[in-house]
Amino acid sequence: MTPSLAQHAALGRAVVDSDRAFESAVREHQAMVFSIACHFLQDHAAAEEVAQEVFLELYRHWHELHSREHRLHWLRKVASRRSIDQGRRRKLRRHLSLDDAPEPFSWMPATDPFVKRYIEQILSKLPEAPRMIVILRYQEGLEPAEIAELLDMPLATVKSHLQRSLALLRRKLPFTAPEESI
Amino acid sequence: MTDFEDQLRRALERKEPSQDFTARVMARVSSKRSPRSIANWFHWPAWTAAAIAASLLLASTGLDLERRQRLVREQGEEARAQLIQAMEITSAQLNKIHKKVQGAAR
Repeated sequence: MTPSLAQHAALGRAVVDSDRAFESAVREHQAMVFSIACHFLQDHAAAEEVAQEVFLELYRHWHELHSREHRLHWLRKVASRRSIDQGRRRKLRRHLSLDDAPEPFSWMPATDPFVKRYIEQILSKLPEAPRMIVILRYQEGLEPAEIAELLDMPLATVKSHLQRSLALLRRKLPFTAPEESI
Repeated sequence: MTDFEDQLRRALERKEPSQDFTARVMARVSSKRSPRSIANWFHWPAWTAAAIAASLLLASTGLDLERRQRLVREQGEEARAQLIQAMEITSAQLNKIHKKVQGAAR
């Protein structure tokens, strides 16, 4: 049976409402999705491309994700996976071990943008799984159990990666309170 | 959280993408959606599609029948022309023979 004019109009209104809700979700979560990709890939343009792809995929699954929490969880999961995939494909950076990283400054104030950049550089030297775990832990503030669920990894593996990564980063980033450093 | 972890957290703060990020996502969404409206052509009721298919079949059958009839007619006309030409030749020959016979008889 052919849909009536009223049914067409209702369908049109639903599409417009759905698009508005989707646009609002993009605005709400774009910083999170983009930052996961950007911290992982260390490339602004590549991170934007990944983030765009993530949101296009969200649009395709829009009607399956009913709550804000569900969408947030889904976006974190897809952003993490897409970033890792993109990192594998691009192989942008020569993979260095943390031992090859430059030596840190003797004192680094936390607000210094150069320090932020330095941390990002050191972070980019980590292998992909520990790097994503550190990003999800400190950018998103997720607990190890949540990260394990998101990345489909055993909790023990996540904890072990986290501990080792922090130990390595601490070695390269000997941040202490200014009073201890000076 | 330790000072060190706090440093990490600050270094990994969320950052915003370009200002036109949302607009670009929405543009890509609408460009992906437009083929769907073209696909609606295929959601016509089944009888409409059947009627179009039947019309196309009838039209093509009719065209083929007309083409065959024209071919037969052309072949017939050609055969008739050949027959007339053959009869004309035969008649001319017969006339010649008739004249020779009459000449010999005199």
